[in-house]
Amino acid sequence: MGAEIRDRVVSEVSKVVVGRKKETELILTCLLARGHVLLEGVPGVSKTLVANAFSKCMGLQFRRVQFTPDILPLDIIGGFIFNLKDREFEFRKGPVFTNILLADEINRAPPKVQSALLESMQEFQATVEGHTEKLPSPFMVIATQNPMEFEGVYPLPEGQLDRFMVKVSFHYPSREVEANILKRNLSSMDLNDVRTVVTAAELDAAIREVDDVTVSDDILAYLARMAEATRNEGSLVLGASPRAMVQLLHCSRAKALLDGRRYVTPDDIKTIASEVLTHRLTVDRAAALKGVSRNPEAILTAILDRVEPPR
Amino acid sequence: MVSNELILGALLAVNVVLYASLGFAALGQRRRKVEPSNLKEAFNGLELALKEAVPDLPSGFTWEEALARLRSSGVKTQAMEGALKSYEAYRYGGAPLPDLDYHEVVNVANMLGRTIPRKRGGGASFGR
Repeated sequence: MGAEIRDRVVSEVSKVVVGRKKETELILTCLLARGHVLLEGVPGVSKTLVANAFSKCMGLQFRRVQFTPDILPLDIIGGFIFNLKDREFEFRKGPVFTNILLADEINRAPPKVQSALLESMQEFQATVEGHTEKLPSPFMVIATQNPMEFEGVYPLPEGQLDRFMVKVSFHYPSREVEANILKRNLSSMDLNDVRTVVTAAELDAAIREVDDVTVSDDILAYLARMAEATRNEGSLVLGASPRAMVQLLHCSRAKALLDGRRYVTPDDIKTIASEVLTHRLTVDRAAALKGVSRNPEAILTAILDRVEPPR
Repeated sequence: MVSNELILGALLAVNVVLYASLGFAALGQRRRKVEPSNLKEAFNGLELALKEAVPDLPSGFTWEEALARLRSSGVKTQAMEGALKSYEAYRYGGAPLPDLDYHEVVNVANMLGRTIPRKRGGGASFGR
């Protein structure tokens, strides 16, 4: 069923977004693995459109919050409002109470607001003044950020970055894709043409099926060797955390299911390791000065080339 | 009395036998004759053949990466891809070892020495 869901979603999103198949698959993988996604790319590369079309074809409730420097935690989580009629305080839910929360330009909000999302992302609940409410299920944060902005932004701290299961980079499209985008914009196809192609029951079943995907002991040992290699890598000051490896494990299971398998292979892990791990690795600046690569992706690729998988 | 010619001839014969056996032993080692008896052994042999025939393949290679590399070198791997799926289900999914025809896996391993340009050494191969 996983592969069928993937094909339906990718095909439906492709109606309005050209050339973002891999990105759409990654978001779906992350949703099934109960994770959150950080979309990174310059303005105008269809980050928001992909998020919008994705939630629409999944039939999920979608809320979008534009993060700005003056936004408050209350604007996201919600808060207690005095009800004049009943003469008592009542909890008014913020936009976080949804299935998919698009946190647009998350790095424009101050750290206080960014950290207000931590509990929701980690524990799938929100607490205000001792009052805790469960979030709807499934719940996923899709945050976007522009890597080229330096003024008026608050870079996400490592702890917050670690909460995102994957970081998906949106690069400029190729010449052929660009031509197709222009051609597509000649027609009147828009978000209203995106249909819901996955029922709530199907999605719920798929999320539960991820837990049934087999992971052999050899694969677990492979993941452990990989984690150790990132921590012993001289050019990194911060390797992959245990949480990162757990998320890589869950993501690999979801990917296996979407590929129509009930077991994880080393290929599943290697294919998505870059998206799951790269944003959590911190390059040693001193090592970088000695001519070692400063690109965490290149460092991770070298590590993956060294760590022998079970065959 | 034994003539010098006879001694020389005997020494020559001993030398021929000695060097011939050494040569055959070296060749046997080089060709690493293996008789796989099941799918698992066939893939173990293919792994060894890959490591010898494609020395620049990184030690962290996966089966899919290895096959992609072979395909780019002109080796036809389609026929063994079904066998790989079954082997992976056994190796990573805990399925029972399938009683499948593994000739194609052996064929690819045998083909490696001839198809992949090598930087050093000879290719490994299977005997059947």
